[in-house]
Amino acid sequence: MTDVQQHTPSIHLSGEEPRVLPNGEREFFFDVSTSDLEVNMGPQHPATHGVMRVLLRTDGELVTGAQPHLGYLHRCAEKIGENVEWLQYLPYTDRYDYLAAMNNNLGYSLAVESLMPDLEIPRRATLLRTICAELNRIASHLIAYGTYGLDIGAFTPFFYAFREREWIQALFEKICGARLTYSFIRIGGVFNDAPPGWLKEVAAFCDVFEEKWREYYDLLVTNHIFVMRTKDIGVISAEMAYDFGLTGPMLRGSGVDFDLRRDLPYMAYKEIWDAGAFRIPVGRGAQGTLGDCWDRFDVRVQEMMESIKIIRYCLEVIEEGEVIGDVPKVIKVPAGESYVGIENPRGELGHYVHSDGGKVAVRCRVRAPSFVNLAVLEDLMPGTLLADSVAIIGSTDIVVGETDR
Amino acid sequence: MEFQAIVDRLRALEAPGIVSADEPRPANKAEKDPGRSGRPFLVIEPDKLVDFLRVCRDDERLAFEILIDLTASDPGADEPQLWILVELLSVRHRHRLALKALLPKENPTLPSATAVYRAAQWHERECMEMFGVTFEGHPDPRNILLPDDWVGHPLRKDYEFPTEYHGVSCE
Amino acid sequence: MSILAITLSAGSLLSGAAATELQGPVMGTPGAGGNFLTRLLEWLGPPQAVPTWAIALTSVLLGVAILVTMVSLIAMWSVWMERKVSGHMQCRFGPMYAGGWHGWAQTIADGVKLLLKEDLIPKGADRALFWIAPAIVLAGIFGALAALPLSYDWYFARMDLGVFTILALGSTTTIGVVMAGWASNSKWSLYGAMREAAQVIAYEIPLGISLLCPLMTLGTFSLIDASREQATLFGWDCGLGWAVFTNPFNIAAFVIFWIAALAETKRAPFDLPEAESELVAGFMTEYSGIRWSFFFMEEYAAMFLMSVVGAVFFFGGFETPLTALMRASGSDGTLLYSLVCFGTLVLKGFAGVFLMMWLRWTLPRVRIDQVMTMGYKYLTPLALLCVLLTATWEFARHLVMG
Repeated sequence: MTDVQQHTPSIHLSGEEPRVLPNGEREFFFDVSTSDLEVNMGPQHPATHGVMRVLLRTDGELVTGAQPHLGYLHRCAEKIGENVEWLQYLPYTDRYDYLAAMNNNLGYSLAVESLMPDLEIPRRATLLRTICAELNRIASHLIAYGTYGLDIGAFTPFFYAFREREWIQALFEKICGARLTYSFIRIGGVFNDAPPGWLKEVAAFCDVFEEKWREYYDLLVTNHIFVMRTKDIGVISAEMAYDFGLTGPMLRGSGVDFDLRRDLPYMAYKEIWDAGAFRIPVGRGAQGTLGDCWDRFDVRVQEMMESIKIIRYCLEVIEEGEVIGDVPKVIKVPAGESYVGIENPRGELGHYVHSDGGKVAVRCRVRAPSFVNLAVLEDLMPGTLLADSVAIIGSTDIVVGETDR
Repeated sequence: MEFQAIVDRLRALEAPGIVSADEPRPANKAEKDPGRSGRPFLVIEPDKLVDFLRVCRDDERLAFEILIDLTASDPGADEPQLWILVELLSVRHRHRLALKALLPKENPTLPSATAVYRAAQWHERECMEMFGVTFEGHPDPRNILLPDDWVGHPLRKDYEFPTEYHGVSCE
Repeated sequence: MSILAITLSAGSLLSGAAATELQGPVMGTPGAGGNFLTRLLEWLGPPQAVPTWAIALTSVLLGVAILVTMVSLIAMWSVWMERKVSGHMQCRFGPMYAGGWHGWAQTIADGVKLLLKEDLIPKGADRALFWIAPAIVLAGIFGALAALPLSYDWYFARMDLGVFTILALGSTTTIGVVMAGWASNSKWSLYGAMREAAQVIAYEIPLGISLLCPLMTLGTFSLIDASREQATLFGWDCGLGWAVFTNPFNIAAFVIFWIAALAETKRAPFDLPEAESELVAGFMTEYSGIRWSFFFMEEYAAMFLMSVVGAVFFFGGFETPLTALMRASGSDGTLLYSLVCFGTLVLKGFAGVFLMMWLRWTLPRVRIDQVMTMGYKYLTPLALLCVLLTATWEFARHLVMG
């Protein structure tokens, strides 16, 4: 082992004189010195959920320092945004957070639409967008649920989560033909109307999912070993969450009751909230300290159920009608600039778009939630055990496609 | 609070460095003004940005706890200035504020906001590598997404694409 | 090279065992006393006509051949079983194509693939240790399996201290694992090796102590005698006098034994040495091909071994009502009786293996400090308490029943 720095001898008597205790015993002082081991967690490591590298400094099992290194998946998304037409950029948005592509489409579309004051979004389009975005939120949280189980060492929940996610993907396949990168939510509305019977299938999914969700909760969230592994680990206080700019479940896990869907509503969320269709799950510190890994995980699992409620509301009020506004083939966006943030499964997905009135954006900035949420690792990981550091990375629920863009 | 109320509050607090409000306006064909859509921005002086942010964060009625985004924009190859764009969010009062600071393209330098919001740290690192903006007092000024030895600042409009990287042609 | 090492180590053990056994038949007391190798040899010809060394050599080679087949079969079946069990627990089927019926030949196909795979040795690795480590791991488990009786009259060596031999040889695999982790020149492997060492040391203690409870109930260290002891329940030969039925504290002891056995065999929730989401693959990270499969074979053989030890000392060993019925009908001593005993043991063993798999695919992994806390702070004192209570119970039983 050439990389391990050898101290010889690692344990030896220190030069100090032994202390004589009152009962006559002599107390020797050992000078125990160990050396830190620097170890690369990643870029190819199962715990980093992609190609991210965390440089860990460890003392035995104890992590004494952590430094995330990003950029292995950098695909110049923002530069591409300045070189392709408005609508052509939409497929690229699918690829930052590939687990929640609908939400990314939505964020970008809303940002561009905010520059087009004359554009009317039909109501059916808004509701279809909401249904798709919430379905995708469930799918994304299911991955978070499953992979977090994997991180902690439980395999089976992962497969159960994928079973339901498969169903959601099948629903998306029916509505837009794609299973992962949808490009379904367009500037001005959605790509096409839902096929006949699709909304009924969504309702059937909601019924089954409510049942299954209970099982998920019992299987992993309240599992004793799981709780032992995640409580009091990676505690983020509300102040720390503010300071690091955390959003989404990371912020709510710390007990901050804030959700863009309710507090700065966009699309139809104000109506849905006013109708009392959903609530905002917030970390309660139910199993340990407020803001620990368990709280963040619990918030995600609870959110799935709230999404189901939102979908049910939308299914109730949706009516026939147009699904896309009056948008030309080649979109020319009026000059202007805007920042629009929406509630993505991982936090606030913001798009800053700047148009000079042409066919191509001047600047297309993506504020990726995973990127911001990841910064907190540097502070959370030191002082934990190696296995805890894996639990902490998992609880931030990053998607590397989004951190690196 | 709405944008105008926030600006009034900031002016009442004598927040340092306020230049003007950049608000949307309709197009005016007579003056060949294409107009501007979108959201209003508050333009501030880059040197005072950190002090300004501190006021925003600490005032009770503004209470911008979270720095959502800090980025830069190059409005065009011919433009003389870079824009630094900051997005603030108040959880308590549920309002947002977008800031804009104009920096000269030659040697753009401004103080780092890391002391006020730690969230700024990684955003600033990204700005540094992508636009060549220098943030004075940044604790860890390394590249974040690009390799450490990358030449040039890719999101600048005058950026020239490299023809090779470490001997590998990319044409 | 590795095969040679296995053969040598398992062979040396066996030759020792066989040689002691051989003295009986060679000295002229033929028949029932000898192990089944010598009886096989007798069947080939009169023992007096063959020189002793030839008998010893043949029996050793034969024993090794049988053991290699046994370990391979156990591993092959268990791997297939693991994949099917996990598959069905996870709403899928597992392998379905290789071989036709439910992918029964999948493990054979995998084995062939592993044999043909390139045997990679990392650049900075300690080559000698890296080569020898899988062999040591496998040799330990071979030796332990050699001490296992397969039926009342099928055994390699009739050992009075059989359970100690099994525990002692079974835990030598740790040396191989630590060696593998060190020699790989990978930090993840080193972590895995260190965890394995810490974990095995912590759980050897409760494992051994909890086994003392049935040992006291049964009054023997020999696996064959322990089985025989459990035939009678309160003097009635019904094949159900299992240690867990005759003494309630043995149930608690079994729970402790089972937890410790899971930790010993590196199975979830104690699979920290491998911990694929933390340490990539732990001590096996740098291994590939047939060497890697040795670790796998060891894992499954150890699972089976631990289950069998548990079955023998807590759940009656060869004994079921069926064996009692056969005894009552006077068919003991026949080949069928031996086969039934063998089948009973294998079934009980694989029931334990199934339980291990069930736990693995249900529970998350515990953390290293929790593993240590559990081993030292809870299981060891509890095991000691169990011993005390079992002893009291046995004492009272002897007082009452005479």
